This record gives sequence, C-alpha cells and structure tokens, in this order.
Amino acid sequence: MRSRLLSKVSIIFFSVFLLFSCSSDLDFDQVNDFKLEPVFVANLAYFDIPANRLVDDGGTNIGYDSRDFDIFKNKFFTERLKKAEFDFEIENSIDRAFVLNMLLLNEENKILQTISFTVPSYKGTPNVIKYPTEVFENTRLDLLKQTQKIGFVVIIAAGSPLNSESLGNLKLRSSATAYLEIE
Amino acid sequence: MRKVLILCLFFHLSCFAQNRELLYNFTSIPQSSLVNPGADVSYKYYFGFPVLSGISANVGSSSFSAYDLFANDGVDFNQKVRNAVNKSSSNDKVVTNQQLEIFSGGFRIGGRESRSYISFGLYQEFDFFMFVPKDLALLALNGNRDYIGKSFNLGDLNMKAEVLSVFHVGFHKKVNDKFVYGGRAKIYSSGANATSTKNSGYIYTGQEPGTPNLYNQVISSNLELKTSGIASFTKDEYEGNIARDIANNTFFKGSLGFGVDAGITYYIKDNLQLTASIIDLGFVRQTKDIETLTYKGTYQYNGANPDFLGSDDPENVFDEFDKAIPRDTLYNKYTTWRPTKFYSSIQYSFGEARPDDECNCHGKLNTYYKNAVGAQLFAMTAPRTPLFALTAFYRRNIFRKLDFKATYTLDTFSSTNIGLGLAGTIGPVNIYALVNNVLEYKDISKASSAAFQLGINFVFQDKE
Repeated sequence: MRSRLLSKVSIIFFSVFLLFSCSSDLDFDQVNDFKLEPVFVANLAYFDIPANRLVDDGGTNIGYDSRDFDIFKNKFFTERLKKAEFDFEIENSIDRAFVLNMLLLNEENKILQTISFTVPSYKGTPNVIKYPTEVFENTRLDLLKQTQKIGFVVIIAAGSPLNSESLGNLKLRSSATAYLEIE
Repeated sequence: MRKVLILCLFFHLSCFAQNRELLYNFTSIPQSSLVNPGADVSYKYYFGFPVLSGISANVGSSSFSAYDLFANDGVDFNQKVRNAVNKSSSNDKVVTNQQLEIFSGGFRIGGRESRSYISFGLYQEFDFFMFVPKDLALLALNGNRDYIGKSFNLGDLNMKAEVLSVFHVGFHKKVNDKFVYGGRAKIYSSGANATSTKNSGYIYTGQEPGTPNLYNQVISSNLELKTSGIASFTKDEYEGNIARDIANNTFFKGSLGFGVDAGITYYIKDNLQLTASIIDLGFVRQTKDIETLTYKGTYQYNGANPDFLGSDDPENVFDEFDKAIPRDTLYNKYTTWRPTKFYSSIQYSFGEARPDDECNCHGKLNTYYKNAVGAQLFAMTAPRTPLFALTAFYRRNIFRKLDFKATYTLDTFSSTNIGLGLAGTIGPVNIYALVNNVLEYKDISKASSAAFQLGINFVFQDKE
C-alpha cells in the first residue's frame, strides 16, 4: 500500500517536473528579420585580340561583336540584386591607341548604356590599366537588369598600319560583383 | 526562403542520438527488450496500452541551441545565424529519432516453470541524419567574394531521412539462472526515404596567373539524391494530403525490408551482470515511387568571349551550365541499410534485500539487490564515422515495484547529459517515464539535446 502511494506520488512529481521545466524568453518572430546578404564575384567578359587579326590601312577602323548575356533572365537573381559593380582591366601591347565601348543591349538590340574605355598605344613597357569600378545602383541598376546582350566596339585610332606580321595583343579582363539581398 | 529556413531549424531542433541509455537494461519496463532482445525480462503476459506504450520525442543539436538563435536579447537575428554557422563544423551532426509504438505484447510459452517468451509489436519510426552543411551555409550567407581561393565542399551535403513502420516478433529464453538470450525478426515497411550521402565536388573561385579572365571559376559537382515514396508529392498534378499519404504508405504500401536484433544477458556472478545487443541489423529495398536525381559534371565559367570574327556564336550561360552539369533523373531501385545500434553493459549489484512489504507464503526466498551501478557502451553506424556514447548508471530499487535509474552520458552532443528514469507498477499497470539531459531542463531553450520517453503497459505475473 505504501509503495503504491509512493509510486503514484513519484509519477505525479515526475510529470510536474516535465511540465514546469522553464525556458528563456524566446522570440521566434525574429525569423521574419532573416535576410541573407551574400556578395558574389564572377567573371564578366574577356578577349585577347592579336594585332595580326586587326589588319588595317592605318586609318580609323571599327571592330564589333556581341554576346548573349542572359543572367537577368533568371528572376530569382534579378529580383534580389540590389547593387552591382563591374571591374575592368585592359592590357595593350599593340602600337595603336584604342577606344573600347561596351554596350549593354536589351532584347531589341537597343543600347541601354555605353561604358567607354580609352586605351593608349603601346610604348614598349607592359601596361595593364585598371579602370574605375562601374557601380550600378538605382536607375542605372534597373537599366542593367534589362540587359540581354553585351556588344563590344573596338575603335582603332589612326596610326601605323597593321598587317599579318604585326605584334602585340589587346586584352580585356573583367569581373562583376553582385550584392544580393535574400529574405 | 523563410519556409526553407524554418524547416531547417525544425530539423536542427529535433536532433538527437538514438542512444536509449535509460531504457537499456531497465528490465522492469517490457520495452527494454526492444534495445536488448536478450534482456532479463519476465512476465506471464503483457500488452502495451495501444499507442501509449512507447512514445519518445527528442530535441537537441550538436552545435547550437534554440536559445542561440531565438533569444530575445536584441542581438540582430542575422548576426546570430552567422554566429551559429561560424561556430558549427561540417562534422556536427543532426540526428533525430522518433518512435511510436502502435501495439506491443508478449507472453510466456510453455508451462508455469518455463522461462521462454514470445513478444511482438508494431511501431512507427522516423529517422533523420544530417551533417551541418557548413560550406554551403557560408556560401549562402556571405557569397564567394571574401573566399577567393577557397573550395566550398559539396561533400558537406550529407543527409538521410526515413519514415517507416516496423513489425517485429521476438523470442527470448532464460536458459538457466546465469544466461538469457534472445532474438527478434523485423519486417520494415518504408513509407518515405531520402538518401544523399555520397556527394562530392566543389565550388571554387580563385585568382591564378594564366587564366583567361580575372577569376578561375569552377563548379565540379557529383551530387545524388535518392528518394523513395516522395517523388509523386513533388509533381504538380498531386492534390492529396501528404501526411495522410505518407502514413498510408508507411503502414500499407511501403518498400519492404528485413532485419534482426539479437542480445544476451549473462550473470558472471550473482551480482555481476554482462549484457550485449545488436539492434536493427537490416536493410530496406527501396522499390516504391523511386526517383534518383543526379547533378554530375564540371563547369568552368570564364565569361563572355567576343572574338570579333563576325561569327554568330550564341553563348548561353544557362544552357552551357545545364549541358556541363545536367540534371538526370533515374528510376533505379536501391537498398538502404538501417542505422545499426550496438549496446553493451556491465552491472554490479549490491545491497541484498528481501521483499519486506509482501507476505512470503510459499517459503521460497526471493532475494534481490536494491542497488546497481555499471557502465554502458553505445555505438551506431552513421555516414562517415560511427557515433559512440559511454554511460555510467546507478539503479535503485526504491520499493519492490518502483525502480529508479540515473545515467550520466558522454557523447558527441553533450558531456553533461544526466538522465533520470522511473518505472513503477501499480497492480498490473506498468508506467514509466525517462527524461534525458535533466540539467538542461532548468532552461530547456539552451539545451543542446533533450529527450523524454514514456509509456504505459499492462503486465501480468504469476500469482504468488
């Protein structure tokens, strides 16, 4: 009889112990504040044009090419992109000056923005020029987000003619930094 | 996104090792034979209170607690998530096990002097195992800009989950006063399984000379997710109730498997006892609604590359990526191994007593020991390396029909895990409650792991 009573008491005690274990003040609504802000870097565009491909007569000439750039078709990415930066470096070892225009084009090939780089001619010493970072925010970012293609215009300034024997290269290397906000 | 996070947290918060150090060898509870079929349990017959005979629920995490994330302390939540990820390691485990006994019972076979028993039952089990995917969490939180030169390891993705029902029939026999052996056959019916344990690959961004563009960017992927009983829920046409359908599949239409348990109890001396058991040595052949997704391949991204040759060479990053690392869907049957558990214990008993609260009319002296101390070892198979735990315990017979057990357990999750258990019998009603990690109960939110288990049985012994 005594054991029966005591086991009952013990079980009640045990249940109470389970019910009354306490907990610090927790606020699960904090999950609503959750925001990921990752920053990704990626290659953007590059080329390496040898001088002998730019055969010309010494006058002003224009080379053109364009590439699909479909990252902004990805809605998840585009909607969460808060800021973007482009970094460019150009190395010229050709005895001619250039202007490189990078065109951001929409689906109808309409030019949304032009980014222009002036490249001095080769003076005999290696010269890698790092251009100031192009920052895309607000309206400029909105234009960037409509970009579907990138056009490249290489304007060769007048100078000594180039032929298949000409030496040197025009090299572009570039990267993009994407600031995302995911909530 | 939030849903995903909440789901992740749910899994994080419900993690626990499958060690049942309190139940093991607690022979006044018939369910202790589930962790050692050779346990020295005796009864004329017993049955579990349907659905209430064995409920276990667990909360915990090896690397951070609910308090770390949700404390109402004014610290920015994002900072807390960041701290938690930084604190964790890719070897931190999230292990969950939940069991619910639907029915169970047992009876003695042979005459009054026989000491052979048959037991049977059906229980539902949920298993979840995951390593904290630290590298991918870092990549999602911070991006790759500040990790130039680092390989984010895709092998950090390592998880398996299963919902199954287990029907079992066991036999145990006390051969003589020194030796008990037992075994159990199990039929598994798996309602849902997801296995992704053999992943490798990396996401790398580096800056090295000799690469055409500014960065050397490579994704090398060897990812594989096998699922069974899940694919139909992910289809757009599906319009059912997922919980109901999984339950239905678990009990009636699951992928079948087979396993065994075995165990012994041996009395080296009257008061020195050795036990050992192996549980869930078995497999499930996953055959129902199977789908395996793979992403295998290597992709190097250099950026757009105009050549000024006037060639119209449409470059499409997404198409290129899909071509390099295609998503393939396979429909192969596969076999999963159950997490196999091994237990062993040594127990020394002292404080001989005679039942003083009952009349001994038969003249036979049933002496017993009031106290026992000992040690238990637990091991469980897991992806990468097995899990181990070491337990010291003290068991006290408070009254003839009220037993108390206290445990101290050292494992990967905690070094301050103290457990308390009580099992009492009132008439034929056997009630037990086992609580793990009691020190943490003073503030449950800070607990890295906690568990309770309780149940009600009806146990009938011979009238003396």
